Amino acid sequence: MNRRDFTKASSITVFGAGLPFSGAQAQNRYAKYAGKTVVVSVPAHPHYDAMQKLLPDFTKETGIKVEIDKIAIGRMKDKQLLEMAKPSGDYDLGCYIVMWKSEYVSKNLIHPLEPFFANPALADPAYDMKDIVPIYLENLGLVGGPKGYLAGPGAKLYGLPYGAETSVLAYRRDIFAKHNLKPPENYDEFGKLLRILKDKEGIGALTSRGQAGHQVVHAWLLHLNPLGGSVFDDQWKARFNDKAGVDALKFLQEVVATGPAGIAGYGQGEANTAFLQGQAAMYLDSTSFAGVVNDPSRSKVVGNVSWALHPKGTRRASQSGGLGLAIPKNAKNPEAGFLLMQWLTSKAQDKAVTMAGGAPMRNSTLRDVDAVRKYPEFITFVEALKYSNPDWRPIIPVWDKINIQALGVGLSEALTGKKTAEQALNDLVPQVTAIMRESGYKV
Amino acid sequence: MLYLGPAVLVMAAACLYPVVVAFQLAGYDWALGTPWDSARWVGAQNFVSAFTNPRMWSSLLTTLLFAAVCVSAEMVLGIALALALEHPVRGMAFFRTLFILPMMIAPIAVGLAWRYMFDAQFGLINAVLKAVGLSPQTWLADPTLAFIAIVVADIWQWTPFVFIMMIAALAGIDGSVIEAARIDGARWWQQTMRVKLPMVMHVIAITLMMRLIDAFRVLEVVYVLTFGGPGDSTEILSLHIYKTAFIGQQLGVAAAVSVLLLVVVAALSWGALRLSNPMKGEPP
Repeated sequence: MNRRDFTKASSITVFGAGLPFSGAQAQNRYAKYAGKTVVVSVPAHPHYDAMQKLLPDFTKETGIKVEIDKIAIGRMKDKQLLEMAKPSGDYDLGCYIVMWKSEYVSKNLIHPLEPFFANPALADPAYDMKDIVPIYLENLGLVGGPKGYLAGPGAKLYGLPYGAETSVLAYRRDIFAKHNLKPPENYDEFGKLLRILKDKEGIGALTSRGQAGHQVVHAWLLHLNPLGGSVFDDQWKARFNDKAGVDALKFLQEVVATGPAGIAGYGQGEANTAFLQGQAAMYLDSTSFAGVVNDPSRSKVVGNVSWALHPKGTRRASQSGGLGLAIPKNAKNPEAGFLLMQWLTSKAQDKAVTMAGGAPMRNSTLRDVDAVRKYPEFITFVEALKYSNPDWRPIIPVWDKINIQALGVGLSEALTGKKTAEQALNDLVPQVTAIMRESGYKV
Repeated sequence: MLYLGPAVLVMAAACLYPVVVAFQLAGYDWALGTPWDSARWVGAQNFVSAFTNPRMWSSLLTTLLFAAVCVSAEMVLGIALALALEHPVRGMAFFRTLFILPMMIAPIAVGLAWRYMFDAQFGLINAVLKAVGLSPQTWLADPTLAFIAIVVADIWQWTPFVFIMMIAALAGIDGSVIEAARIDGARWWQQTMRVKLPMVMHVIAITLMMRLIDAFRVLEVVYVLTFGGPGDSTEILSLHIYKTAFIGQQLGVAAAVSVLLLVVVAALSWGALRLSNPMKGEPP
């Protein structure tokens, strides 16, 4: 373990270990808030659909009512920003995408969680912070540490993972068995398989997101990290146009050429559908996809899908990302919002949401006998989490702008053939550098 | 004046206030989610940033092309449909209802419906192409085809508006004038081009103006259908403004582009009203 890893592990452990014991036993932490209504901003997303099934139990147990404001994930940030900018907002708890955490903190829109966990009247002494997958807690919850978004000195907890994910490869074991193929161990094998599957099976080899904006960047990052690249170097200088960046984009171009038709216009929904409807032999995306693969009402490939680790490039790496929960600063009932968040992310409810089709965020759930019996892929997911990289994307406050307005346009142009991979990435460097300078980075 | 005063004041407040605020906002550097107190006065800097951004100009060109193609097609189709259905024929009530249905559907739903129809794998359009022996297309993954897709969706949704306006206008034409033209030997084509359409020219001008304004403001359908892609091939100006404001967090720059949009739309509306201005020539 190197020094940085030690600091990271220590900060999460010390922080996590201290919280549950910071307060005395709460006699009845819910009584004061019984009858109140907690308003929660959530996306239309399988994990939050599963969450809704648990809410009647929360109300029954605590007397606190819950009102859900469900909105398309792409429009959620606009509404949240408008709500959280008001002196008194409508939301007591909000779901956010990992990329928004630094921006929300930099704008002073969400509460740090430490005061809540330190409050004996609110904190559940049995709440096991250490059981939360550390990489999820770091990636989704911590802001202010190294680079502004990693664990380490200065990092504070602002949210809890809820709907977190890492990347794994789903593949059609029936097709692989038919052609005597093995799931790819590394990127060389992965690249060769694309052509083999396309030629032998006649369907798309690998489905992928590709639509302009966040979707195409997400797809490119899936290859950039394992191939040894990153968006910036340690001095915040753009380095995504180096060999690793170009290789990742060329790989994605090959995915488009050998995949189901139309990837350059695919959002997550279309990419999912192509695999679920049997139009692609592989799908490299997140663990959160597992729930729908096994749902016969949505999937034609039930029983034919196996899971493998994200193939190794110059290094083994899996994505870190997904969704978390945070308490807006202008919440009318922040304490009740915290109680709901604490309840939802407890061991019992993490298992419950997982069994209802959601994504687990606790080690205990990922290793739970009932859960593993129902979702044997958890064995692979636990292994994938060992390689999950919390620095998958630079989660700085301006990342959303770089992601959607710069990279999301240029990468899309490379997928449609308007530009070569090298040309697209080189043309993006001045744009990204200008955004970084506008935001105060000395680059 | 005493009677008109309150109405004028309400109209002025409702119409002018947002415009004034847009102008004011264009002078500030302000990000969504931060208090207004933190906004910094930057003068004309936002206009400079907006107008020196090549993406803004390519977006304006895309918008002009989009508006020109959509509005022309909608006007021609809407007028043609109204002329075809102006006389009582069997089942006309059904057809009229059918034609105006698209207009009643929420734009987000229209975007989603067309997104599924243009889907390369499972879409209806490709299924039809295959059925008639043509090769399927990757509609939303090709810059030209994606532009065609947003044009088709807009024409489908807004041709009914032109149809309704025109059918109402044609119904108001004095039958004796048409009868006189017919007795004078005018053929159907001549009756239409020389008598009917000139008589409803003021409605055509207003409809044209309203469609032009709407074509420049369309957002939801393009947002859902392509999100401006592939690349920026379908990034119309309203989507560019949306991205600048809500993703780039540059509300001031977005307001500056909105002012440009206002100028372009005002100029085109003025042009449309020059065709025939119903507000002109009224008795005092």
